[in-house]
Amino acid sequence: MTATLTGVDVAPPVTSVKGRRRVPGWLAVVPLLVFTAIAFGLPALAMLNGAFSVKDQATGASSYGTGNLTTSLHGAYLTALLGSVKLSAVSAGLGTLLGLPLAQVVVTSRFRALREAVLTASGVLANFGGVPLAFAFVATLGNAGVLTRHLGLTEKGWDLYSFWGLVIVYLYFLIPLMVLTITPALEGLRAQWREAAQNNGATAVQYWRHVALPVLLPSLLGGLVLLFGSAFAAYATAAAMVGSSVPLVTLQIADAISGNVLVGQENVALALSLDMVLVAGLVMAVYLPLQRRSARWLDA
Amino acid sequence: MARRLNVWRWVVLGLAALYFLVPLAASVVFTVDVPGQGVTFDAYTQIVSTAGFGSSLLLSLELALATIAIVLLLMVPAMVALRLSAPRLRPVVEVVCSLPLVVPPIAFVAGIATVLKWGPDHLSRTPLFETFVAIQNPSFPFVLVLAYVVMALPFVYRALDSGLRAVDVRTLVEAARSCGAGWPQALVRAVLPNLRGALLNAAFLTLALVLGEFTVAQLLGFQPFAVWIYSVGGSQAQLSVAVSVLSLLVTWALLLALAGVGGRTRTASSRG
Amino acid sequence: MTATTLEPTTVGKAATVEFQGLRREFGATVALDGLDLTVRPGEFLALLGPSGCGKTTALRMLAGFEHPDSGAVLVDGEDVTRVPAHRRDAGMVFQSYSLFPHLNALDNVAFGLRMRKVRTAERRSRAAELLELVGLADKGDRFPHQLSGGQQQRIALARALALRPRVLLLDEPLSALDAKVRLALREEIRRLQQELGITTLFVTHDQEEALSIADRVAVMRAGRLEQCAEPGELYGRPATAFVAEFVGTMSRIPGRLAGPDVEVLGLRLPAEGTPPTASEVDVLVRPEAVHVTADEGGDAQVIATAFLGATTRLTVRLADGTEVKADLPTHEATALGAGAAVRVSLPQRPVLVAERAA
Repeated sequence: MTATLTGVDVAPPVTSVKGRRRVPGWLAVVPLLVFTAIAFGLPALAMLNGAFSVKDQATGASSYGTGNLTTSLHGAYLTALLGSVKLSAVSAGLGTLLGLPLAQVVVTSRFRALREAVLTASGVLANFGGVPLAFAFVATLGNAGVLTRHLGLTEKGWDLYSFWGLVIVYLYFLIPLMVLTITPALEGLRAQWREAAQNNGATAVQYWRHVALPVLLPSLLGGLVLLFGSAFAAYATAAAMVGSSVPLVTLQIADAISGNVLVGQENVALALSLDMVLVAGLVMAVYLPLQRRSARWLDA
Repeated sequence: MARRLNVWRWVVLGLAALYFLVPLAASVVFTVDVPGQGVTFDAYTQIVSTAGFGSSLLLSLELALATIAIVLLLMVPAMVALRLSAPRLRPVVEVVCSLPLVVPPIAFVAGIATVLKWGPDHLSRTPLFETFVAIQNPSFPFVLVLAYVVMALPFVYRALDSGLRAVDVRTLVEAARSCGAGWPQALVRAVLPNLRGALLNAAFLTLALVLGEFTVAQLLGFQPFAVWIYSVGGSQAQLSVAVSVLSLLVTWALLLALAGVGGRTRTASSRG
Repeated sequence: MTATTLEPTTVGKAATVEFQGLRREFGATVALDGLDLTVRPGEFLALLGPSGCGKTTALRMLAGFEHPDSGAVLVDGEDVTRVPAHRRDAGMVFQSYSLFPHLNALDNVAFGLRMRKVRTAERRSRAAELLELVGLADKGDRFPHQLSGGQQQRIALARALALRPRVLLLDEPLSALDAKVRLALREEIRRLQQELGITTLFVTHDQEEALSIADRVAVMRAGRLEQCAEPGELYGRPATAFVAEFVGTMSRIPGRLAGPDVEVLGLRLPAEGTPPTASEVDVLVRPEAVHVTADEGGDAQVIATAFLGATTRLTVRLADGTEVKADLPTHEATALGAGAAVRVSLPQRPVLVAERAA
């Protein structure tokens, strides 16, 4: 085909031989697609299939239905789902509010070393979720933690294994994540915009209110939903803080997988997983357009 | 006005330093100042001799190496091909590589566990059963590698994409070919060296992901490093915190090393 | 038509601008080294110079974005050096990318009025008037990323005029645009400026741009004013060798001072201005002032020709190796291809003399 098209008049024989032997480029993409179809597609299908398979307790026969999903949105499961949403929303909101000023201070700093140090540290800490983070906070603010003992926090009613305890722990990786997310946007704020605003009679406050914040808004909202998604999916941190009495959907799913619940509830775990995927999908659906708009504004 | 700005600056930085440094400092204090024993470095000296430390760390490193190798082998040719000859597949690959972001690890592992149960349930008489057993071998659970490759796809995609954005692959390949290089030579000699920073970046992100991964490994019942820390936490609090502190320092050192090696490439790509 | 509503207010207020002994250092570099300059009411003045000569710093001091270490900026005789930028009453157009990306064209133009808390209806109609003034009445609802570079700069111009400033500041507003758009927009700017009669400062490093639209051009070098004059005078009677070579094309021909005259190419011509002390000097000549005639026995040789339309520019190498540019009417130049032997001479007129270049 290629040979007949290109070799009609001028192409020397060498070219047509090479043209025939040339491997089409899309073949290089095939292994990736096959791999994801198996390693990602199979579990995803299993999850979908399980979530919609209802087992009849009496006969053991299974049929398709929405029973598991209904169950996953009731009682303790619903409490856990809502608990996760509330925890994620509160910590993502706080992470955004606290991350923005920190990023602004770092971006506008005259000291290059400080900038580099904070950004590198943010890169590490944003990935510092999980078990080590939980243990560091247990050592600091847990019942036998250093600060708890030395400041006598327990008598003042402090409990790390509570909602606000988890928020404080989550902020440890959410604030750095916000710093990383918002820094490019802050760097994209052009000096000319500030000067043009001043030139049009805007005070510093008016500049922030009418120019900087509106321009940053897509990035801020994008960062907010990213933080939400990150907090929502977190499991290791919560799991390692043993004794946590906060109901979370990730902990519920883990219990179900490990067989710590009634037999026959495995499929409810899959339905809960599907709930999570839907929430995470919603997060991405909000995040991507915001991200695109911000990129268009700041890179133009 | 300028002074007020500076005060605000230092207040923000001071509070941030307090919040981020106190838990680290407290963790160190916690490991060396044991109530009833005074100051002791036992927690650190014990680490190496504690059962499971060596084997779990080794397992994590092996998993990381296998994951990095597979994810790069899958992604690099695909990404280069997207730039060179199959740009229409670009959205497909982008979506495929973003899907893992929509499926939280806990939901992903729930799906994996279900698939693995098919083995004994439905496939026990077929040759596939052998495969199911093999990939769950506790001394090297290949199923974790499969999961980690999927989980690393979004990060590797982003790292490689920004690296490829900074170099004009098509021109590089055409220049190499016009100098007489064949396709494989053009890729290996002209394109890959220019992607060094992006490859390092992708490898590091994958390494960090695998070393810290807990959810999938724990719920499938394997014991790499993060799960081991968790399991000693119950009985030996000082020890587990000491390992946590060390693991943070190691991650930090790795990232700094990477910034040192790939620093120039990264600033170049962020400008481009 | 709409301009008439704006015209009286601005013409009535056309302002004088004075820079008095402005000095500013950034670390080790001196951006302004005692700049004195007066801009007349309603005048279009171009600040011209190589990059780093301090022209932009001077403009930004008038806008209030930079502050002098010493010296003062006066508008209509009133010292505004300490007035903050947002109360300066000077509309500025930046190099590029200065439109607010989240606002459409109309809201960009109306931004200043919004800061002044002008009622929505009033500021919308004012902004619409200004958009019509810059010829973009139909683009009010477009966002900056939907506009071309030239359109963006027109909007920026409208925005700069929205608050009826006493001075209009243009900081290389054309440098990011294509050649064609640049020409069109610079005529547009000139037309608007004359219509509104507003005192205007225009920073540029492009001498052709400066000469073609300004009433007067101020040439700056290393933080100081070299010469401020009308374009014709600047070109024909440059005050210094720097101005002579920066504005237009100049060739240097070695010569020798002899009293008030200079000996060059076998001629004896009067030297203009105050000649340098050394006797070995360079004579500065414009390409159109150099006569080139075909001459088999001539000791100069054409080494390159460039067709410029009605004229052709020859590069001629003299006997001593000096290269001289000469412009000839194209019909005369056709006979003089590269390699042709020629004779070079100068008209009997006073010439500019400079110290011998190293």
